[in-house]
Amino acid sequence: MTTTRPVPVPDEQSAPFWAAAAEHVLKVARCARCGTLGLPPDVVCPHCGSTDPEFEFTCVSGHGAIRSWTIVRQAFLPGFDDDVPFMLVDVELAEQPGLRMIGRLLDGVEAGVRVGDAVVAAFEDLSPEVAVPAFRLAR
Amino acid sequence: MSGRFAASNQVAIVGYAQSQIRRTAGRALGALTVDTARDAIRDAGLTVGQIDGFVSSSLLPSAGGRSVEDGVSIVSSNWLAQHLGAVPRYTAGFDGIGQLPGSVVLGVNAVASGAADYVLVHRALHNPKGRYHGNPMREARGAQQWVAPQGFFGPLAMIALPYNEYLQRFGARRESMQGVVVEARKNGARIPWSFWHDRPLSTADYLAAPTLFDPVCRYDCDIPVDGVAAFVLTSAERAKDLPHRPVYVAGYASAAANRPRLPMHWPLDDILEGGAAMARRLWDHAGIVAEDVDLPQVYDGFSPFVWFWLEALGLCPVGEAHRFVANGGIDSDRDGSIPVLSGGGALGNGRMHGVPQMLECYLQLSQRAGDRQRAAARLGVACHSSPHFGGAVVYSAEP
Repeated sequence: MTTTRPVPVPDEQSAPFWAAAAEHVLKVARCARCGTLGLPPDVVCPHCGSTDPEFEFTCVSGHGAIRSWTIVRQAFLPGFDDDVPFMLVDVELAEQPGLRMIGRLLDGVEAGVRVGDAVVAAFEDLSPEVAVPAFRLAR
Repeated sequence: MSGRFAASNQVAIVGYAQSQIRRTAGRALGALTVDTARDAIRDAGLTVGQIDGFVSSSLLPSAGGRSVEDGVSIVSSNWLAQHLGAVPRYTAGFDGIGQLPGSVVLGVNAVASGAADYVLVHRALHNPKGRYHGNPMREARGAQQWVAPQGFFGPLAMIALPYNEYLQRFGARRESMQGVVVEARKNGARIPWSFWHDRPLSTADYLAAPTLFDPVCRYDCDIPVDGVAAFVLTSAERAKDLPHRPVYVAGYASAAANRPRLPMHWPLDDILEGGAAMARRLWDHAGIVAEDVDLPQVYDGFSPFVWFWLEALGLCPVGEAHRFVANGGIDSDRDGSIPVLSGGGALGNGRMHGVPQMLECYLQLSQRAGDRQRAAARLGVACHSSPHFGGAVVYSAEP
């Protein structure tokens, strides 16, 4: 039996994010007070300090640039043993300076990447109901 | 408002004990801690009955999500005081990051305020059975839902991203990190209680190790151990009557809050900018400038921290640490170098979470380093964790 990867458990705040991901749509939380995007959504808006930010998940382009990466050759979580080695990329999303997101690069570990390389959001389907945001090189 | 610590040099370390550092101690962590605490109190020329303050941090720094048991896998100050039969006036645990400097700060402030006269600071580290960072998580809830489903998890991934970001931005090569690790192991090999005693690491062995989370290899990571250290703090005034030369606390700083990030996401700019801001507060607090320090002991739980601390403390320009190290800048045996790992650090002792840095400052500044004694050692800095996340304490040989 294959051990399954950790499955995200949506909560009241994150449910729209995971519902969109299941449809292969990337959304990021936007503060209703100041309009700034934040990931993950916090209790208090990290930009304007509002304690009532009423974050709304809004569609983003999924485009971004690689700021760093690592190749994972040893998994500390269950369900990844068949996947190693795999590449994780630290991506700055195009929508806002400093808006960073980490995900797998689905092009494989042999894809020669450089800082600044353009990527676009992609999705890994864990089950019919659950998809995890990832990236592909936008070449 | 001055940034200078009002109680600068008014509190001192007056004694210590360090257990053997082993992969497995072969006995309960609590028993090892009680023995080490008694040794430290005796070393300071005191009795248990005189110790009226206990401070520590009891975090087990594993990502394994284990439940912990006081006295077995961790040792809190309450547990220790109880099992020593002490009756403290003040007991506190530090739950921030930079656990050892944070604990020292609690102890220093307790002595300076009169909340306690003699404070025992301890740190007890345990190497649990099983994979240290292995975690059986099946469901990713809360903050982990944003990273664990993607496979971003644990401290190696955490450090690999800013380390690689550094390599790319500054044109550094991972092969250059051998200078850090070989230096730490060289110094650790000279320390009798170190796990790596008599076991230096060659450059060839470092370079032959496969990467685990590129560009990190196993030798870039400190090894999990069982080990305990304890220090006794009291006022500079009371220290005059005790057997050893006191080492004074000149000042301290901890990292300020950073902007919220994904769990364990440490972009390089956060580290370098947050670290530089922390260093400025540190020098102001101690009333010194970076150039005054002759014994900076930087944290090295992961080797890239050495580069980051060298730059955050201003010991070399930003982006230059890899060349500074490659050119012999941290060789503790070379005149004119900065001995930032003379105490062996975590890479040369084992995962003692800031203890080797503090202990080296104490031993050298109190002239108790034996055949490792360095002639010029008047002002030390003991660092812990990442420059943007942890903290540091400035120690002085003179009040």
